[in-house]
Amino acid sequence: MMPGVLGKFAASALNVYIAPSGVFHIGSVSISNSILFGWISTLVIVVVFIWVARHITVKPKGGIIQYIEVAADYMVGTIEGAFEEKKRAQKYILYFITLFFFILANNLLGLIPGVGESIKYSGSPLLRPFTADLNATLAMGVITMGLVYGSSVRELGIKNYFKHFFVGSLKNPFYVFLGLIEMITDVTRVISLSLRLFLNISIVGIIVVVFAWLGHVIAPLTATPFYFLDIFDDVLQAFIFVLLGTMYIAIAVNHASEHKEDGLTEEGIPETMNATPDKVSGSA
Amino acid sequence: MISFADAVSSVNIAKGIMIGGGFIGPCIGMGIVGGSYIQATGRNPEAKLLGQALVFVALVELYALLAFASTFFMLSSK
Repeated sequence: MMPGVLGKFAASALNVYIAPSGVFHIGSVSISNSILFGWISTLVIVVVFIWVARHITVKPKGGIIQYIEVAADYMVGTIEGAFEEKKRAQKYILYFITLFFFILANNLLGLIPGVGESIKYSGSPLLRPFTADLNATLAMGVITMGLVYGSSVRELGIKNYFKHFFVGSLKNPFYVFLGLIEMITDVTRVISLSLRLFLNISIVGIIVVVFAWLGHVIAPLTATPFYFLDIFDDVLQAFIFVLLGTMYIAIAVNHASEHKEDGLTEEGIPETMNATPDKVSGSA
Repeated sequence: MISFADAVSSVNIAKGIMIGGGFIGPCIGMGIVGGSYIQATGRNPEAKLLGQALVFVALVELYALLAFASTFFMLSSK
């Protein structure tokens, strides 16, 4: 074994960090290790993508350009598929593609040896994956859900937006109660979006650390399967975050144009069959 | 080294129960999602459902991770 080389990247005792910690100060603002990592990965993304955009060709030459092209193409297809009209999807594609590559790059760069506790600076790890920080993922979740609410209200109008929570007549207290619960569920999406990303990335990282520690001398052997699990989970979580954000917009926005042309009411009943007063109030 | 007094402390038992109990539900859920995916592709092999199946796996997985993360916030037995 090469204790000198491996020892530099492996932990001697099981030390698990579940929260970011401050590394240095700019003025009175404490800069945490995850923010530092986020800045570095942002720089990497900007440089790589400007380079890719300059070198992209009609006939693919291979290399990293091809992979980024395929990933971007797949994501465009997925996002467009969620919306009923392609024209509507164009407005949101730019944001979600950016978000996808930002999360993906942050997740995957966290796998590089040296990120984590192997390089320490004043008692805490110098670098920590940006997405393994609840502050970062909460910010992404709040911005994404802000976009969802903003675009839903803009496309539907504020009255119709609140109306789509209530399935039936407002005179029935049961439907009012259901609608209120539906609204509360909508707000919890912010928390579930951000917690999912944060917990997945940080806990899969912890699992790799635990199995590297359990393996002791044969750490590369025991940790490698979980390393591949980590890669799979990183790509999956970036995809899921974007897909869920798209679906939240698409559900609210598609609802508006659902029964516009086919002459159906919101309950899916033909307008000519509006016999009961209950249905009439729901069809406006 | 874990001494006997550490091993039987109530916090460790609580962590074990929390992880065990918290993982049962999501495991059943993932089994249902996976089984339904196999059934759906068996009936209709042209349908591309893997992406949607993975979305539901991720939705279910969150609750297992919540249980796992909660063990970090338990008080230590000291």
